[in-house]
Amino acid sequence: MSKQILLEGRKLSKTFGRFVALQETDFAIHAGEVHGLCGSNGAGKSTLIKILTGAHRPTGGEVHVNGTLAPAGSPLAMLELGVACIYQHSNLIPALTVLDNVFLGRPPKTKLGFIDATEQRRKAEALLEKYNIDLDLDAQVSTLATVKQKEVEILKALALDAQVILMDEPTAWLSHSEVRKLHDTIARLRALGVGLVYISHVLDEVFQVCDAVTVMRDGAVVWNGSIDEITRPELVDRMVGNDLGEASRSVAAEPRHPKGTGEILLSARDLGMTNTFEDISFDLYKGEILCLTGLIGSKRTELLHSIFGSAKFSAGTLDVLGRSVRYSSPSEAIAAGIGFVPEDRLRDGLLLDHSVSDNLIFAALDKVSRWGFWNNRAVRELTERQIRDLNVKPADGSKIVKRLSGGNQQKVLLGKWLEIEPKILFLDEPTVGVDVGAKAEIYAILRKLRAQGTAILLVSSDMEEVMAIADRIAVMVSGRMTMTCAADDITQEELVLQISGGNK
Amino acid sequence: MLSLISYLRTAIPTYAMPVALLIVIGLFGALAPVFLTPANFTAIIYQMSITGIMAVCMTFVIMTGGIDLSVGPVLATSGLVVFFLLHIAHFPLFPAVVLGILTGAVTGAISGLVIALFSLPAMIVTLGMLSIVRGSALLAGGPDLHLVREQPGFEFIGNGFLFGIPFAIWIFVAVSLLLIFIQKRTTFGLQVAAVGDNERAAYLSGRRVKLVKMMTYVICGMGAALAGIIQSSQVHTAAATYGEFGTELDVIAAVVLGGASLLGGKGSVARTILGVLFLAVLNNGFNILNVPIDYQLIIKGGIIVIALSLTEWANSKVA
Amino acid sequence: MVRLRQLPNIELLAFFLLLYAFFCFYAPHFNTASNLENLLVGYSFIAVLAIGQSFPIMVRGIDLSIGSIMALGGMVLFDLSVIYEVPGYVVIPAVLLVCLLAGLLNGALVVWLRLQPFVATLSTLAAYRGVVYAISGRQLFPEMATRPITDPWLTGMDSYLDIGGVTGLDQYMEMPWLPLSFFLLVGIFIIIQTMHSKTQFGMNFKIVGGNPEAARLAGINVKLTILSAYGLSGLSAGIAAIILVTRLTTATEALGNGMELTAIASAVIGGISLQGGIGNAFGPIIGAMLLGIILLGLTLLGISQFVQQIISGLILIGAIGYDKLLSDFRMRKARAMQSGS
Repeated sequence: MSKQILLEGRKLSKTFGRFVALQETDFAIHAGEVHGLCGSNGAGKSTLIKILTGAHRPTGGEVHVNGTLAPAGSPLAMLELGVACIYQHSNLIPALTVLDNVFLGRPPKTKLGFIDATEQRRKAEALLEKYNIDLDLDAQVSTLATVKQKEVEILKALALDAQVILMDEPTAWLSHSEVRKLHDTIARLRALGVGLVYISHVLDEVFQVCDAVTVMRDGAVVWNGSIDEITRPELVDRMVGNDLGEASRSVAAEPRHPKGTGEILLSARDLGMTNTFEDISFDLYKGEILCLTGLIGSKRTELLHSIFGSAKFSAGTLDVLGRSVRYSSPSEAIAAGIGFVPEDRLRDGLLLDHSVSDNLIFAALDKVSRWGFWNNRAVRELTERQIRDLNVKPADGSKIVKRLSGGNQQKVLLGKWLEIEPKILFLDEPTVGVDVGAKAEIYAILRKLRAQGTAILLVSSDMEEVMAIADRIAVMVSGRMTMTCAADDITQEELVLQISGGNK
Repeated sequence: MLSLISYLRTAIPTYAMPVALLIVIGLFGALAPVFLTPANFTAIIYQMSITGIMAVCMTFVIMTGGIDLSVGPVLATSGLVVFFLLHIAHFPLFPAVVLGILTGAVTGAISGLVIALFSLPAMIVTLGMLSIVRGSALLAGGPDLHLVREQPGFEFIGNGFLFGIPFAIWIFVAVSLLLIFIQKRTTFGLQVAAVGDNERAAYLSGRRVKLVKMMTYVICGMGAALAGIIQSSQVHTAAATYGEFGTELDVIAAVVLGGASLLGGKGSVARTILGVLFLAVLNNGFNILNVPIDYQLIIKGGIIVIALSLTEWANSKVA
Repeated sequence: MVRLRQLPNIELLAFFLLLYAFFCFYAPHFNTASNLENLLVGYSFIAVLAIGQSFPIMVRGIDLSIGSIMALGGMVLFDLSVIYEVPGYVVIPAVLLVCLLAGLLNGALVVWLRLQPFVATLSTLAAYRGVVYAISGRQLFPEMATRPITDPWLTGMDSYLDIGGVTGLDQYMEMPWLPLSFFLLVGIFIIIQTMHSKTQFGMNFKIVGGNPEAARLAGINVKLTILSAYGLSGLSAGIAAIILVTRLTTATEALGNGMELTAIASAVIGGISLQGGIGNAFGPIIGAMLLGIILLGLTLLGISQFVQQIISGLILIGAIGYDKLLSDFRMRKARAMQSGS
């Protein structure tokens, strides 16, 4: 390529303890190029981004901006060199206007040191015109739609004279029409010579807007080149890896039980929630594992919460164990025999400052108490039994949960729900941040539950996991269920296409 | 050396308070031998019983991440209510006291309801309640003192002795034991701590989080009301102006010194008692040594700062 | 149009005016010059305190110690002026400096010792009050205790401007005499409002309170900002102390007791959210004045002072409830817009 290289990473490495997150990775962004960055969860994309923005200091390698060496691990220095990042979560101040946010922390000033409002507005308007962005500069950011907030962040980056803008899953929370608007904006930036990095799981989008693409797997670049040089199936293949297919096949050697015993425990018909999801219909059978998969923002978590009573669905009907229900709180769902291992175990699941024992008994207090008074022996027995069955390490019920490893935390969380002896168990991304050993143990527990007749609904974005453990697979795309089938009837490549084939 | 520091860090939250308490007692004992007499210790506990009852009852509120600033006027109101019931309505003692405590429960329930149901900040709601309850008490009782006469049963509450120990101390001990029991031996105790630790997780585990929160304010109100009855009895009067501004801050300081975090989650009734005791010992010792009020205030403020920043230091580095 | 939309608390202002009109009609003597004068004299310094309090709240903290800082400032003023006979033009900066330092100490406890603001300022509430007793000139020199402040620079702080007489308008209508404290308040309002909208320093408070992580990424010194917030709160307590003590011509140890709650209430009623990130000088002033007209109006209506307490409590809870309702509504609207387009 003849175009100028704006940002370049040379042999970047990053290790956390013994864990290698990134190994000797080369990466380069040219002027006027939209560069896609693809890879499954844990492939090292976010580590690479964090090094490029200075949020992480690399263990090895160098970052060059416009051909000169940039200081490592300094977010401010990278900003000043013109490398800006738009993270998944907002970095705006909701109570301030668009104008104030655009010049956050570094507004133009008059000679007296006051903020030069006229100059600020003039500059902002010039940028709006140059990049053809439509924004009300006086609107308060909290009143803007999400796509507009993304544009404010883009404008904020441009106001810093950013040459390179990194975007981490910019479309995760956007609707289809908003995605198109964002892509138009990106096209205009490219035409004006800005270099963009576009991280996305949605392959459609990657093929729509990117000029070049880098595929990462296991902390290394496995392919990079122009988007014309690769087809979509090839891209998927590179993301998933050839050897991986075999691995998942060997795991999948376990017999599958689509539709379990044939008895329907939970049946949803046309469930909808305003502005969130609609027309969701599915059945969950006794003794099966139904995997619900899709991209971030496809509203799977919201669906689970609406069934569980921690949110409310606004349309459709729900039958649980043959009875039409609509829970107004989780306690009702739990009383009916539904358990729910939520997505973010630190935020929604665990009592971090409490002991393993306290956490294990917390959903089934009635089992270990009478009239609200503890039955200490029952507490002890329950704790010992779960620690033994789940192989929690260290095997100490008084250990504070905060101090356990991710895998053991997840086992404790699972144990809590096993104690209510659930007829139906929801799990939302149960193996994120869990080591391989614990992952296998969790799968074994789920299979055992299935054998005992529990109906399991598992939300996962990890294709390998879905292929390994699912009896049936359902796919959600932007709040709609687009596909349901037996796990044996689909290959991993087809599944990836289904999930990312969103924009239709 | 390094291991010593890290050992200290883990030890500070647990042992700092008892050690500090012993040091202070030793110091006062050395400076004024009269401080170490049993009579003086009885006096210390007698003096702390009112604040103590309020503090142990406030512990649960603070453990859920809330706060109750309205305990002062609630204290005054219950005294007034009992006065009215005894003198105007001629109730027997027992129902009068029960109804007095019930007023505390009701005001607590109102605060708790507003806070839990509408998810409003506890500080502002109870600040409003402080004003509302005080106004109501003044409206009902006026600004005057009401003398409680010829009520030997009522006077016994604050001034009587049982087995040679003031009855107020018995009440304080009983309330403390009851709350320690609730904290250690009931599921409610765990739920209170769980709400403060991770409210969302508790809710998703099927716990009635709002009810738990509300109950903590009811307990706190009942404690303040009981304290008000004891105070009324001690001074033979009831007045709407009792529990003047600053009462709630003393109570909160005691709870926080006991290791409870205003962010919720951490705290224990037993350690709150240590906090109350610590403040009471300081007050008593200062008075015996005739330390002027100015130094008392400065030293107290300084000690709270040092104690809490040590705890903060210990917690932040270990975790 | 743009200007109007940017004006904060437009609903609050409307409520204020409505209530004002209501009292004018129904409360005898409410709509008189002397009543307005009472309002301005009695509540200007509370408005100053509320503006000061808005800074810690803006950065997600709170300052409970301002009552004690006020007493501290008042006592320093009394000591210097009455006992050491220091001229007033030296006394005033000295008082402000002491109060600023007291505020900065609060900030230091929050920033460097990482204490929760509530606890940190609760401790200094006690400690500063202790210092007040320690330096109390009334106790150190009892014979001086009853001597009033006479320094012209200081007594001059309690002067009034007869705007009716100056402008000649009093031929047509009765005009209130405006206290100097009111002009001070106006001056502070202009300075703070300019700071908020025109300077990086003022903007930083809202940024730090609104999204500390974003503030850090934008290169804003978060610690310094929090420190300044408490410093400003202390400084405003100093100004309030000067206004109050020069009016009373003496200082007492109990000065400003409980004032923090009034100031917090005024700020919260004025729309300064406890969640942080929202700040202006206008809301706290309206909040303080609203409390003022309610109390004055109800007094004139012959409603007992005790009922007034009940009503101000209800207003406080109502204000925070309204604030919550509004933010919930905004969130729902934002979510609807996000998916609706």
